[in-house]
Amino acid sequence: MAEAVSYTEKLKKWDRFEAEKFSKKAPVTTPYPFIDIEKPPEYRGIPHINPEKCIGCGACVNACPPDALIMEWDKEHGIKRLTYNAARCIRCARCIEVCPTGAMEPTTRFEIATDNKEDLVEVVEHKLAYCEECGEYLDFTERQIEYVKAILPKEIFEMYALDERIGLTQEAKMRKTVEKLRETEGIPVSAFMLVGEVKDKKGGEK
Amino acid sequence: MARLKSVWVYHVDAGSCNGCDIEVLDVLTPYYDLERLGIKVVPNPRHADVLFITGPLTRQTRIAIRKAYEAMPPKPRIVVAVGTCASSGGIFYNSYALYNTSPQRGRDRLRSGGPEMIVPIDMYIPGCPPSPEEILYGVAQLLGIKEKKMKGEYWVALPPEEKPKAENEVEFRIPDRPIPLRYWLTLREELRRVVGYYDRDAVLDDFIALVGKAFEDENPREKLHDLVTGYFLKEKDSRIKVAMRFLENEFWRLYDEYTSLGESMRRKYPVTAGV
Repeated sequence: MAEAVSYTEKLKKWDRFEAEKFSKKAPVTTPYPFIDIEKPPEYRGIPHINPEKCIGCGACVNACPPDALIMEWDKEHGIKRLTYNAARCIRCARCIEVCPTGAMEPTTRFEIATDNKEDLVEVVEHKLAYCEECGEYLDFTERQIEYVKAILPKEIFEMYALDERIGLTQEAKMRKTVEKLRETEGIPVSAFMLVGEVKDKKGGEK
Repeated sequence: MARLKSVWVYHVDAGSCNGCDIEVLDVLTPYYDLERLGIKVVPNPRHADVLFITGPLTRQTRIAIRKAYEAMPPKPRIVVAVGTCASSGGIFYNSYALYNTSPQRGRDRLRSGGPEMIVPIDMYIPGCPPSPEEILYGVAQLLGIKEKKMKGEYWVALPPEEKPKAENEVEFRIPDRPIPLRYWLTLREELRRVVGYYDRDAVLDDFIALVGKAFEDENPREKLHDLVTGYFLKEKDSRIKVAMRFLENEFWRLYDEYTSLGESMRRKYPVTAGV
């Protein structure tokens, strides 16, 4: 009990530059462009993506009102790009609110004026998971799979046999389910109802 | 260049919501005092070296901006876009009322939009609205007092269990916490409604530390209650007090729910095996 430090004591104090710079009384006008200053810790500067924690789920993209955050897909190369542009950002901090990993970090950065818009772009490139059975890339990243594995309890993993199925496409998952049902419960499903064979049939017709 | 002499500025509104206009006005007040840098706001574009544009460039203001730009003397003709709207179209970027001729309707990498559709822009000052310091910084950069600090970033987020080889590659790490990740996620989401996004993470970290300490004890329920009470007595902010009590109740509710999860699952779905 004794070693608990209260939250208010730990809060970062904002030292206004006048206090340290001038011992008696600060001048009326700020000396700002000629010295360096800091904004208060609550100041909403531009957010920053921490690439160590980001899993590329796109929650921030859904939440962003002015589309400062955009997800770009490249299914051929198995890449998903999260692009943030501070030129479009209105600092509403919705992305910080919804981020499930805490990868969107608030900053107090305010010195962001620039003559080239390229300086304002921040990109995080993610690798998509690959389904070896179908030979195509999934919609989600490998980091997302890892994160789901860390979240879900063991019982649910066992129940749905997720260890084998989590890296499959939706089609392969459906096919596996049908096969399993036929095996375990002996449901007389006709062969054409199997997903894989329907796909083959369609291909043959075309 | 005009940089050595005093710079005269003409301020023009391209359909802004007046937030940025008020901030530009604020920069001229005695506290920020833009005029000590030799800058003067003039009422006529023919006298101006610099054009301050605020707003996302509506179709109605397009011709006025063009005329103001052409009326400026040809030599320095610097254009400063003040605010997010003027830098990229801002939150209005896909509005019907805007003049935006970019091929992807403002959804490209540079988020083109705003006055850059008709005039070349020399300085972007994003912000919604930019605070007076941000505008001061932009102007100081134009005058050569401050240097540019932003730089574009490109990160490659590596999949788990891969080691970085290049400089911009970053490996994946889930932070270690004394409670399971699903507890943390649920508590964090619930806490957002109690204290908001700003204090949330710090408060939750404090609580998790207490939980880690409580589970070393024989009777974690009572120990955690003691610890939270100790925290409660020291804390002065009543919001944080409420949040700590809330977290304690919520944590034990989750704990009971998740520990009985396997049992209830087995009762509910007796036949499982990967269906």
